[in-house]
Amino acid sequence: MNILFALATGIMFAMGVFQLLRRDLIKAGMGFYILFTAINLLFLAVGAYNGSVPAYVDASSRPAGQPSDPLVQALILTAIVISFGSYALLLGLIAVSSRRFKTVDSDELDQLKG
Amino acid sequence: MEFVPVIVVPFVLALAIVPASQRLRPEHQGWGLAAVLAILFGWLLALLPTIGEQGAVSAAISWMPQIGLNLSLYADGLSVLFALVITGIGAAVMLYAGYYFEDARQVGRFFALLLAFTGSMLAVVMAGNLLTLFIAWELTSIVSFLLISFKGSDADARAGALQALIITGGGGLALLVGLLLAGTAAGTMELSDLLAKSDVLRSHPWYGAIAVLILAGSFSKSAQFPLHFWLPGAMAAPTPASAFLHSATMVKAGVYLLARLSPILGDTPLWNTVLPVVGLLTMLIGAAVALRQRDLKGILAYTTISQLGALVALIGLPEAAGIKAAMVGILAHALYKGALFLIVGAVDHATGTRNIDELGGLWRKMPALAGVTVVAGLSMAGVPPLFGFVAKETLLEAVIAEPLALAVVVLSATLTVAVAFRLIWDIFGGKSRARLPQEEHREHDSHHPYGDDAYDYSHIHTLPGPMTAAPGLLAGLSLIAGIGIGALVTPVVSLAIGKTVSLYLLPPDGINQAFVLSIAALAAGAAIFATRRVWLSWNLPGLPGGEQIYQYLVSRVEQIGDVLLRSQGGKIRYYLAAILLTVVALLSTAITRTTIIYPAEMMAGVASAADILEIVLLVLALVATLASILLERHLLAAMALGVAGYSIGGIFLLEPAPDVALVQFLIETLATVLIIIILARTSEEERRRAITRLWGQTNTGLKRDVLISVTLGVAVGFFALAAVNSRPTPNTIAAWHLENALPQVGVKDVVAGIITDFRGTDTLIEITVFGMAALGVLTMLARPNPGKTWSLFRRPETSESPIKDALQEDAERPEPVVYRSHFADPVTQLAAGLVLPFAMLIGLAHLLYAGAAPGDGFTAGVIGGLGVALWFVVYGYEETKRRLRWLHPGPLIGIGLTLAFANAILPLIFGREFLAFTPIDGFSLADIKLASTVLFEVGICLTVFGGVSAILEAISHPMEVEPL
Repeated sequence: MNILFALATGIMFAMGVFQLLRRDLIKAGMGFYILFTAINLLFLAVGAYNGSVPAYVDASSRPAGQPSDPLVQALILTAIVISFGSYALLLGLIAVSSRRFKTVDSDELDQLKG
Repeated sequence: MEFVPVIVVPFVLALAIVPASQRLRPEHQGWGLAAVLAILFGWLLALLPTIGEQGAVSAAISWMPQIGLNLSLYADGLSVLFALVITGIGAAVMLYAGYYFEDARQVGRFFALLLAFTGSMLAVVMAGNLLTLFIAWELTSIVSFLLISFKGSDADARAGALQALIITGGGGLALLVGLLLAGTAAGTMELSDLLAKSDVLRSHPWYGAIAVLILAGSFSKSAQFPLHFWLPGAMAAPTPASAFLHSATMVKAGVYLLARLSPILGDTPLWNTVLPVVGLLTMLIGAAVALRQRDLKGILAYTTISQLGALVALIGLPEAAGIKAAMVGILAHALYKGALFLIVGAVDHATGTRNIDELGGLWRKMPALAGVTVVAGLSMAGVPPLFGFVAKETLLEAVIAEPLALAVVVLSATLTVAVAFRLIWDIFGGKSRARLPQEEHREHDSHHPYGDDAYDYSHIHTLPGPMTAAPGLLAGLSLIAGIGIGALVTPVVSLAIGKTVSLYLLPPDGINQAFVLSIAALAAGAAIFATRRVWLSWNLPGLPGGEQIYQYLVSRVEQIGDVLLRSQGGKIRYYLAAILLTVVALLSTAITRTTIIYPAEMMAGVASAADILEIVLLVLALVATLASILLERHLLAAMALGVAGYSIGGIFLLEPAPDVALVQFLIETLATVLIIIILARTSEEERRRAITRLWGQTNTGLKRDVLISVTLGVAVGFFALAAVNSRPTPNTIAAWHLENALPQVGVKDVVAGIITDFRGTDTLIEITVFGMAALGVLTMLARPNPGKTWSLFRRPETSESPIKDALQEDAERPEPVVYRSHFADPVTQLAAGLVLPFAMLIGLAHLLYAGAAPGDGFTAGVIGGLGVALWFVVYGYEETKRRLRWLHPGPLIGIGLTLAFANAILPLIFGREFLAFTPIDGFSLADIKLASTVLFEVGICLTVFGGVSAILEAISHPMEVEPL
């Protein structure tokens, strides 16, 4: 099962990178988001257990099956929120540069030219 | 410990003064800060008896004991002598600076920097550890850089600041290596330990390297030839800063270090050769160059260099014979040169020029300032009974036995006398040559090379009293210290050098050789002054120095930069491709060395129905992602991306990871809303143009992109396989988390336990980053409207507000892009009105049961944010802001972060560790458990809610004005 996750991570990562390299900045922004998702998938894949019940514990009753790995879940949880923040920042930057330079085509932004 | 506040107070005030300066008048700030520094001065004086008894006082906080870095402070007589100079001159400078600036908006920044400098400089002289000393030393260099470039729009100021930073920073690097070598050789970084075993270093094989490196650092800081040239360049700083940093205190840090280390490193052939040679050379060159300067601050800069040379030479005399004269010289120089700098600033303020050729006869207009100048100038010349005379006497006495040194000192003293007379007479005496600013003069002066930022050329200035009183105070002290030398100065100097000295105004046993030479220098100096018309017209070549080498190196670096710049094509994609190809190259070397074993359980594959569903969702996610790439319309691509995100959410749910799935669904919704609003805001024409070019790249370009992405995908896939494979399943920390969540954090939801406690610091940093990102979006997209926005400190409304001018300008620009809602019908409005309170209730429930059920602070914040999102979609920006008046994202983030950090730091106050878990017992209501983690969850919730609201507010803000 985990091997599928690892493969999916690789495929998704490749698609994200490809999207990131588009000259259309909005598409490139989406590429970033795909990368975030791919990494979350990776985190999930490296979870220690192939859990069958959520990672909840109760003093009174032992869980019915193997709980899922809580550590990777905590990592993904914070990563999701951070990704959203970065995504918003990126889209904000694109909106600003679109208004300032009247284009969302990165090749038309030549301010970096030496 | 009792002297620690002396260092802490200036730093605290440096933070406090910026907001406070928006409310207080500049002169009140000046008076207040002068009073504070005067109190610190008194505090230091009160320390003297203790130091007299104990030899030194010290305090230490263990900081990084592993590398021998302790925040230890150590104050003996030498430290206190310097600290008295810093606080004393600082008080006069603060008072003066309150009246100096024409533009009140600059005052807060200036005072903040001046205070930061005061704190850093006090830390230099009271550092008890070589590394602490180095850190404070570098801080003074950085603040000096900021002060020299205070008028950042001036290219000369920027160049001067950079030059000063490169020279002193380069010296700082040498010093660091020297100090590290010294610390290693002696086996301790603590100053008190080093002073206790003073002979270790002198006999160590590394002695030569240590001494040379430390000398290089000291010489660069104290502007010794040939590194002296940064100091005249530093005169671009506002004059109060020049008086304080570049004359009285910071440039003496090098002298302090030499004096401080001379018991450990001094009195060796190397020390006794290099210091006097460099010092005397600097002394002579400085005095000679000063004579022919035209800029008043240039004159003062070169005489300062000359005096610093004298001090360095004195410290290098064998058997510490010059230490007494060095201490007296430091005090006398700080008093008269500080006064002279402040006088020059006042002259500049009043007349608009610092060119000595354009000045003269000012005594009629400014008699009081003229009087002060006479006292300070005569002290510089060394006329009895002023302090400067005593300093010159002790200097001459110290070198009396060395004919060559004596000759150089007498010659330099003679030149200094002539410079002092020039300062007095050519500014204030004689005919009135000063063309006070008039209309035609104004044209001329606005291009004046010596013009000062403080000066407003539109009207003639009267000098505020304190601008005369502050230098008057220093000049008066020169007189008092001169007359009362035995009673006032002797105790401090004796304490500083650790043995009782005798100081006197007139030699007690009759006229001696030094006295005769001193009077002779005065006479010769007067003669040189009288013949200045002759030698000022001579055309002399400039002296070669370090400046030429510096310029050469800078120009070479710029040439290399020009070559490198040609590789910058300006297309972001190519930069990105270059970065990614580098990653590929690095990864490919790593992958060839990795062997991946596929254990049977990994290949086991499909085991249950849930697994089949998971595979379906995985495929769906991949197909949707591919669709988002292939679909040309942005909106459709965004939708496809949303589908991919929800599929991933489904996978999380099947993991089973309900907390994560919940957040993923919510965030995915928000992200889709976000990109749709952004799409609505970007011009459709621009987007269409970009889309038509989407696949328009050459075949090679497409192949290259595919190659990069496939390679990276393969690399990441391999990495993922390796990571999946190498996780040690039986004994991971996960098991520990499962076991300890309930007993240690009291939660059933192990994920919540990890977030709020086990990895709480991660969460703390994470929400801080999120808050910053959200505020960044807000800053970028929603330009504040003055008067309407929330501000911690309300700015005084002035008629000539630059912000208003800018807005006025912007208002004239055409075509505002406004996002208008298309959903403003009663039904959706009702829905929005209902959803927000419900969302908040649901959020609250998630918050309260964070420890026992799926959902936590993140979930609660995002759910609330979604409610707000609906409002912005339905009502648009203006209406939402009008109706939801309580919604202030900035403060919400602030409060949230404060709560979260309070939860982390409060345990420290009660003597427990950072983020320690504290249950609150005895509370029972509907299965809700109260503990310190609840505070954390509330902080997380508020930060996330505020951040999401900030992002939404920003992206739906009507773009009436051009940002940036």
